[in-house]
Amino acid sequence: MSLERQRIFWGLLFFVMILAAFIIPFTPLLNDLPKAYGAFLFWNLFAVIVIFCLGIITARWRDDDER
Amino acid sequence: MNASTIYLALFLYFVVGSIVARRAGSKIGGGVNEFFLAGRSLSGIVSALTYSATTYSAFMLVGLAGFTYIGGVGALGFELIYLSGLILVAFFGPRFWLVGKKYNYLTPTEMLGDRYQSKAVAAVSAVAAVIFLIPYSAVQLIGIGALLEGISGGAIPYLAGVGIAAFVAVYWTWTGGLKAVAWTDSLQAAVMLTVAVLSVIFIAYRGFGGFGGMFAQLETQYPAWLSVPGPGFFSINTFVGLTLPWFFFSLSNPQVSQRLFVPRSLGQMRIMVMGFLVFGFIYTLVSILWGFSARLLIPDLAVADSATPALLGLSIVPASLALLVMLGISAAAVSTVNSIILTLSSMICRDVFKNVSAGSTEDKELLVGKIFVPLFTAVIVAFATLRLDLIAALSVASSAGLLVMVPALIGSFFWKRGTAAAVLSSVIVGGLVATIFQYSGLRPLGYWPGVWSGLVAVVLFIGVSYFTKAPVEKADEFLGYLRDELGRRKVI
Repeated sequence: MSLERQRIFWGLLFFVMILAAFIIPFTPLLNDLPKAYGAFLFWNLFAVIVIFCLGIITARWRDDDER
Repeated sequence: MNASTIYLALFLYFVVGSIVARRAGSKIGGGVNEFFLAGRSLSGIVSALTYSATTYSAFMLVGLAGFTYIGGVGALGFELIYLSGLILVAFFGPRFWLVGKKYNYLTPTEMLGDRYQSKAVAAVSAVAAVIFLIPYSAVQLIGIGALLEGISGGAIPYLAGVGIAAFVAVYWTWTGGLKAVAWTDSLQAAVMLTVAVLSVIFIAYRGFGGFGGMFAQLETQYPAWLSVPGPGFFSINTFVGLTLPWFFFSLSNPQVSQRLFVPRSLGQMRIMVMGFLVFGFIYTLVSILWGFSARLLIPDLAVADSATPALLGLSIVPASLALLVMLGISAAAVSTVNSIILTLSSMICRDVFKNVSAGSTEDKELLVGKIFVPLFTAVIVAFATLRLDLIAALSVASSAGLLVMVPALIGSFFWKRGTAAAVLSSVIVGGLVATIFQYSGLRPLGYWPGVWSGLVAVVLFIGVSYFTKAPVEKADEFLGYLRDELGRRKVI
């Protein structure tokens, strides 16, 4: 995948994830679930997935002496 | 707690930090790059720790725990969405780093000024940062003053706490610029995280028999605290209003975006980003669990921000642990304040002094920057002493006020048509909107100032750019260089 396509792919993926992090806990799916496995777990999973994705993106960075 | 024990603990903390600061400071060379950017040569680990200590202030164990106390799990969402704002660093971090090296930028505002070919852009952005970050720093000192006064039962006067924190911050900064700040930040970050993790484990097991017990009690006694809007504080408008400006923190706040210039390579920047994410994730969880503990153990507090001092006063918390937590919170505040002071001083010497004085040399520039370190500290102490309503308003407005620089920053990397007039109008008008709305309590359509200041800044930046002339030659050269380098270095 070209860098331009990767930029669009990751940009869209992150946009959807962040939108979900704003919206889903406020929907009946989670706002009626007063449990540790409700919004608490959801936001933790969201953060872990973001960290994982950033790990993938930054692992591709190259310095001059690595090329 | 006994005042002399607290003074002794603070003295030891100061001595250890000063040894670290002096050792780091002895290794710096001459010039502004060395003093303010540690020669652009920091390792990834130190960069991660200083980034963490700078970002996370006393707000975490006091303010965020307080949000959890009154609003429940929404506080976790707010803080983790903020943490996910590091997505922006994946896109912008290498861009900042590359142009910083190529054009020798000292500050993010200098970069804006050069990219838009306008000294006024650099100067106005720098002054805007000063206006919003000085009150934000003052609130950190106010926090330490109040904490020490509270924990000592009034034996340590408020002003003594403020004075001690300010002295520590200015001494370490003056000793060795960013190198000293980065190394003392690293020490403080280690203290902050270790103490916070140990104390929350201790409280969970002493208070509830473990984290399972804590959540079981929450589910039965305070189920609303496990959903949003829950008990009511985190309505969707409040949640968006708080979270949106903070999502852009890594770009909008110069004391952290300037850190994007300092890792010695992209590989080290990667360690910085990932290290910060892990630190931030753990520290956030600890602060939230801290707030939940307070909700269960001391349910009748009138002021949410007193949840932490009240928790430290409980008999299940040994005095030694309370003392360590107090040190951890003080370290969080000092490490934020000294980084802000250093960044603002670099902005004044580069973006204001150098632009207005015709015959400035690097030595003079450095001298001006160094003079502003104690000067800004004095102003921050004065603000902390006054405790005016406007200071609190400006501090809260800081995220909304600094947000107005984001369109210009994004535009500088992705939009050739952006113009200096557009940057100036978006920063000035957007900043005024943030301040006025915050101070007057205006919430049009129920949305918070950050939503409106951000919207105004975007509309003005795009709109004014269409009617004014862009610096096409500079934009082509700047973006062309980045396109080539990003391709070679596999940066998206």
